Amino acid sequence: MPEPRKPSNVSFLRNRARFRLLGLTVDDMIRLFFGGNAVVSVVVLGLITIFLFKEGHSFFGDNRRNLETYRRAGLEYVDYMRQQERDHTALIRWLSDVRVRQLRELTEVQGMDLAAANAALAPFDDFAGSFSDTVEDLRGLVSDLTDVASATKTQFLVNEDKRVQKQQLLAEGLTEQAEQVQIDPVDFVAAAEVLTGTLPYYRELAAAFEEALRAVVAEIPAAVAPGQQPRLDRFTQLVADYIAGFPAVEQRLSTWDPNIPVGFGEAITAFVFGRQWLTASFWQDWYGIVPLFTGSLLVAFIALVIAVPMGVCSAIYINQIARPAEQRIVKPCIEFISAIPSVVLGFFGIAVLGQTLRALSQFESLAWIPGFPFSERLNALTAGCLLALIATPTIFTLAEDAINNVPRAFKEASLALGATRLQTIVRIVMPASLSGVISAVLLGLGRVIGETMVVLLCAGNRIQIPDFTKGLAIVTEPVHTMTGIVAQEMGEVVRGSIHYRALFCVGIVLFFLSLLINYVAQKVVRRYKLPGS
Amino acid sequence: MKQALVLAAALVAVSASALSAQKIVIKGSDTLGAKLVPMLAEEYKATRPGINFEIAAEGSTTGIAAIIDGTAQIGMSSRKARPTEMSAALAKGVKMKGIVVSFDGLAVIVNQNNPVKALTRRQVEQIFTGDITDWSAIGGSPGRISIYTRNTSSGTYSDFKDLAMKKRDYAPSSQKMAGNEQIASEVAKNPSGIGYVGLAYINDPGIHVVSIDGAMPNKAAVHDESYPYARPNYFYTNGELTGEAATFVEFVLGEKGQEMVEKVGFVPIR
Repeated sequence: MPEPRKPSNVSFLRNRARFRLLGLTVDDMIRLFFGGNAVVSVVVLGLITIFLFKEGHSFFGDNRRNLETYRRAGLEYVDYMRQQERDHTALIRWLSDVRVRQLRELTEVQGMDLAAANAALAPFDDFAGSFSDTVEDLRGLVSDLTDVASATKTQFLVNEDKRVQKQQLLAEGLTEQAEQVQIDPVDFVAAAEVLTGTLPYYRELAAAFEEALRAVVAEIPAAVAPGQQPRLDRFTQLVADYIAGFPAVEQRLSTWDPNIPVGFGEAITAFVFGRQWLTASFWQDWYGIVPLFTGSLLVAFIALVIAVPMGVCSAIYINQIARPAEQRIVKPCIEFISAIPSVVLGFFGIAVLGQTLRALSQFESLAWIPGFPFSERLNALTAGCLLALIATPTIFTLAEDAINNVPRAFKEASLALGATRLQTIVRIVMPASLSGVISAVLLGLGRVIGETMVVLLCAGNRIQIPDFTKGLAIVTEPVHTMTGIVAQEMGEVVRGSIHYRALFCVGIVLFFLSLLINYVAQKVVRRYKLPGS
Repeated sequence: MKQALVLAAALVAVSASALSAQKIVIKGSDTLGAKLVPMLAEEYKATRPGINFEIAAEGSTTGIAAIIDGTAQIGMSSRKARPTEMSAALAKGVKMKGIVVSFDGLAVIVNQNNPVKALTRRQVEQIFTGDITDWSAIGGSPGRISIYTRNTSSGTYSDFKDLAMKKRDYAPSSQKMAGNEQIASEVAKNPSGIGYVGLAYINDPGIHVVSIDGAMPNKAAVHDESYPYARPNYFYTNGELTGEAATFVEFVLGEKGQEMVEKVGFVPIR
């Protein structure tokens, strides 16, 4: 066994007593200070995420109860009939649309004056009037049943409130007052029987309704304006389809059972695929994210269509073509756009951009542009143009970095082989920097999806799925977005209510969307990394 | 050092007590809070210097919620508290009390270039629920109707539903605006727009008020109930007010206050 080495007594190796505080040296403290900052930011991020999920996750349970009440109180049953009534209203709209088109054709093409045109349309108006009247009985029944179901639901909600009140009083230790709170349980079974008891009457009514419809449609007058005859023929077809749907409604009504439980999956799909976001309704609140999601996507799409060419092309120009003097001026200018507060951009959008676009759309010569002419100055196009302005600096800066990172050797080799400057840019520099440019575009998209103030002020706040059948013309439709709805409604909801939780769920969807965009951007950069960079 | 600390503590205590005694917190309705209440507050401050007001106008729902949560002394509301709100207040041990401070009519407005000058109640209902979608159906020039409404937390939003739409839901195509002012300015810029605003806003440029069943919204028609879309505005409080807030409410209900109510475009209670 070798002897342990003696400590050397060379002076500089002697272990001098170092300054320590709480057992930490200065080096340790510096390390802790920097590390601590990093840890704090990670912890805060974690807390935000936890908070978001804590507030949002119980929405689905609430929504399940919400849907269960909807079913048990019989609102669902009434809505089957109401849907039938609504489909009839849609047919009336078709007729009034045909009337407008005929009126236009008479006044603009045939040069009649308004009074004469209206007189020519009188038989059509009579027909439309008698067609509208056929639904009266059904509407009456729906209205009566609506009252019944609403009353049941209201009583149930009041009871829920009283239950909460009782719990609160008990928690305060006021047992006497708690006992005074009377809760009369809702007899859902009896309420449902009142509704289903009307089924025989409904069957008679539907048969009479069908007969009346057939009788009225048989008398349909020919179109006064010949160009509109195809639409009228289509109308008879639509009415036939409508009547063909009656047995299905009857089937749904007779097999309806208020006691079928609502599954948890139903509560989730009602949110994820729900086509209605309807709050503060006297009848039934729906929390479906689809109209908001499509609104966000539409605005983002418009913004990217404008911002990608602007950002990427100016990045190429600045990095590859511009003289140093130009670079020094243009680059800070583009980057300065991001210094404009979005609320200022929003005001600019309302007062200047929206106004100008609307005025432009009124020019006859521009009517060929999809969506022109339009009358609402706040719409997806206005918001999209402003968001493009917000996304451009982001895309420009990151794309310029990516182009800058292409090794000089590539460019020089290409030029040495005799390629022109344009060939070099298009065939060498762009493919080499493509991954960086794509991730720049994705991060620009992230900026756009998360932007709130501009869409709140300029998107028009119409909660409806844009009508995609219009083709490109949908860009001028007013929309509402996910960020917009959270900003608009968060201030007004009761803490802890289902509406409040629904808004948090919208927040969670936004969170995942941003996460996904960032993840894909990272992936793209890693996947297509240049060798040797 | 010690002396300084004591002094600072004393200062903080004095200023805190002064603040709590002299500050009136009012939250709620945009209809009341945008013009009327700030003006009343200014006038009141002129007579009693040293009083501070904190006024937040974000919608009636927030006003009533503020009373329930105890974050305001006065909750402005342009609608009656709902039964569920009443029971929520009871559960928290809050005695909700509503005081009518003024009346307001809701005027239906169209663009000044729109030939339609009169509508019936049924037509208004059909327009806002989306049964009628084109101006030519009610005697206007052809064009798709653009509907502007308030946002869902507003008392005006739910009141209009009760007063004019038989409680039916708004058309999905309606656009939700954060305040009366925005509705007026959008309708002024949109030839096919229609919306509703409180009486304080009917003189905004570029809009035209439509008569409903032949009645125009004005003081006389609201008082004799010939104008269908009229409603009381409330101050909600937690039980009886005391101190400065009580004096302020007295001032609002008094002669001077009601004069100002009329000046701003609302209908006084007498």
